[in-house]
Amino acid sequence: MRTKLLPLLFVAVAIGLWSLVSSLQIFSNLVLPAPWEVLEGFVEEAASGRLYQDVVASLFRVTIGFGLAVILGIPFGLWMASQPVLRDMMLPVVNFFRNLSPLAWIPFAILWFGIGDAPAIFLIFIAALFPIILATFAAVENIPSVYFRVANDYGMEKGEILRKVTFPAIAPQVITTLRVTAGLSWLVVVAAEMIAGNDGLGFAIWDARNGLRMDLLVSGMIVIGIIGVILDRLLVQLTKIPGVRWGYEQ
Amino acid sequence: MSSKTEEPIIEISQVSHAYGSVRVLENINLKVMRGEFIAIVGPSGCGKTTLLNIISGYENPDEGSVCRRGKLSMIYQKDGLFPWYTVSENIELSLRHITKSEQRKKQTLSAIRLIALEGFENHYPHQLSGGMKQRVELARALSGESDILLMDEPFSALDYITRLKMRGELVTYLRERPRTVILVTHDIEEAAQLADRVIPMSSRPGSILQVREMTPPRPRSLTDPAVTNMVGELLKLLNLQNGHHVVNIKKGEDHAL
Amino acid sequence: MLYKHLKRWALGALLFTVLLTFLRFEPWKFEAFQNTRSLKIIDVGFLPVTCHLTCPVTDYASQTSDSYRYDSQRFQDFPTMVESIRGGRLEATFMIVPLAMKLREQGVPVRIVYLGHRDGSTVMVRPDLDIADLRDLRGMTFAIPSKYSNQYLVIRRLMLEQGVEPEEINFIEMPPPDMPGALSAKAIDAYFVGEPFPASSELSGEGRILYHVKDIWPNFISCALVVHERLIEEHPDLVADLVRGIAESGEWAEENREEAARIAAPYFRQNVEVVRHVLMSPPDRVSYRMLSPTDQELQLIHDIALETGILEREVPISELLDRRFIPDDIRPLQIQ
Repeated sequence: MRTKLLPLLFVAVAIGLWSLVSSLQIFSNLVLPAPWEVLEGFVEEAASGRLYQDVVASLFRVTIGFGLAVILGIPFGLWMASQPVLRDMMLPVVNFFRNLSPLAWIPFAILWFGIGDAPAIFLIFIAALFPIILATFAAVENIPSVYFRVANDYGMEKGEILRKVTFPAIAPQVITTLRVTAGLSWLVVVAAEMIAGNDGLGFAIWDARNGLRMDLLVSGMIVIGIIGVILDRLLVQLTKIPGVRWGYEQ
Repeated sequence: MSSKTEEPIIEISQVSHAYGSVRVLENINLKVMRGEFIAIVGPSGCGKTTLLNIISGYENPDEGSVCRRGKLSMIYQKDGLFPWYTVSENIELSLRHITKSEQRKKQTLSAIRLIALEGFENHYPHQLSGGMKQRVELARALSGESDILLMDEPFSALDYITRLKMRGELVTYLRERPRTVILVTHDIEEAAQLADRVIPMSSRPGSILQVREMTPPRPRSLTDPAVTNMVGELLKLLNLQNGHHVVNIKKGEDHAL
Repeated sequence: MLYKHLKRWALGALLFTVLLTFLRFEPWKFEAFQNTRSLKIIDVGFLPVTCHLTCPVTDYASQTSDSYRYDSQRFQDFPTMVESIRGGRLEATFMIVPLAMKLREQGVPVRIVYLGHRDGSTVMVRPDLDIADLRDLRGMTFAIPSKYSNQYLVIRRLMLEQGVEPEEINFIEMPPPDMPGALSAKAIDAYFVGEPFPASSELSGEGRILYHVKDIWPNFISCALVVHERLIEEHPDLVADLVRGIAESGEWAEENREEAARIAAPYFRQNVEVVRHVLMSPPDRVSYRMLSPTDQELQLIHDIALETGILEREVPISELLDRRFIPDDIRPLQIQ
């Protein structure tokens, strides 16, 4: 109860203060739009159907880009951990790319993929891929060797070990990384949509800025934040799977 | 109650082993009889874990040979249970050869009853105490078809009181499901209380100092004069060899190689 | 246990993806498209600098055909737009004229085929400063959208006339949307940019008009419609259609300014007050007529660009300008 009520209380107080400052008209609306203007802007966006379009566009890009990164990143991380040569060859490379801001890829994203969905998906893919590879790899490296001995003691075959030992052993760490990278993807899609295109929440924010509609800008920010929180809450459910809880409760 | 027979189940002959230039084991010779309880004691770095690994076949000795006439099961100091499996799923690992799931369930249940963890079947290891976890390990090792139980510092991660209790429980379980046991430990008291024969080892390179027969037969109380005498003798013996190690041995802070 | 759960999650993720893909592409609408047979979609790029008001109407123009459709693509900055043109992803765009010249100079085969509008730019200054002309701006900070912008060229020419040296005013490049805010925060002292940003400063009382561009450079050219030669070769009819669409919608906007403001404002998240202000007060603040550029006009811009070092070598106007697609008879678009 307390953890639910306290944030609500804080938000209520913050909005109260915001309303007070706005009604005193200390700042121009260009600097700080009033809460009721933001609400009106939100209603306007929702009623026009544009909000729905933008949310679908952004979610679509994140889902595809992030999904591709998961589908390719986890197997690659496993593969890397299993082949010493590959590991020695790729580890510095993966580390290098992980430390590059995905936004640095923007020019290439546009040159290679043009405008629209593809470059944004590419940027999200790049942003999520390397942390996922690295986390999978590190998780495999960190599995206590005793698990493999036990698996061996009880006569498990190679494929069985992968399914029944390696995979469950890395699951908690990989799930944590998925949560982090999903959040990262959400950050990147908003940034990527600011570059080019004609829909998406990032586009909406920049369009609002160009139109000097600070109310729409703030309502866009709030929508982005809320969806980000919902995505994270959704992925937190992954940590509640009985077979992975040990990774978070030890 | 000693179930010791005159039939050798493990024969270790002239085993020597080195890691690079470090000689870990030097000319180890030992015959273990079926039903016997052997305790190998010694300071950390004396090669007792390496010896256990060689007995289990996990490592091959540089020289010498090991002959086993039975199936093994192993108990580790910690993390031997898969944290992603429940208590019963962990125990079922040793029952994988049973194809009928009904029978497997029945045996799992009887193992859980043996360690008195009814009601915890669907708990995960991280929800159990250290002692409970080691009991599950014991149940798993004892419910398979194995003849030989190898234990590598099984109780050293537990607190002293729990350790005392676990010794008693081990005795009870072995009465139900007799096994040949090789226990590796740095807990002299544990060795003296549980084993038929106690084998102190020196370190670097590890070699067998003596082989001590324990009388009277198991089980023994901790305050049995035979046990306390043996503890004193072992302390003296190891102290003479490696004086500074004794402190560590008593505190149980030492970890296996 | 674990795999049972993971399978359920994988299935959920798959369903989520499929659902989003459906919502994104709305395949149930494709059928309607197919009925009108191979719809050719042409992306038309623009920047929210000065053509912001013509683009909605341009978009409207595309509704007149059932064989092609123009999608306006909003860009945030010139580098991205240039990258898209170089990458072959964008073949038609609104662009500030000196930048088109610069592209041509660098060997990118683009041509100016039409203009977006005339006038429609304003020099704004801080209302609390006593500024009568550029001489009063000596030592002050002056924001321009880009040094490749016509606005900058106009100011440089005006400085020459008023005897102000280039280094006497501190020019900074700034994204146009930030200018009104920067002016009200006194971070800058003046700016020169296309509408509707000056109008918003004026309406909020946080900026004062120093010059309408029509007063210092009549028939000012800001943005031109720039088309890649490939599109001209492959689809001259589409280019002609696009130009006619812009011309007719411009003509319509001239005759229905109030209505144009109402349509354009929500189309691109504009405040309708600001847009009406741009279009109505005064009505000749921005013009959508005479959008055919003359050689002399472009030559003048070219020469100043050369003088100020924006261009490094001459770009023949005859190669740059292509007036073939401009219709002789421009009627107002029929908008219901």
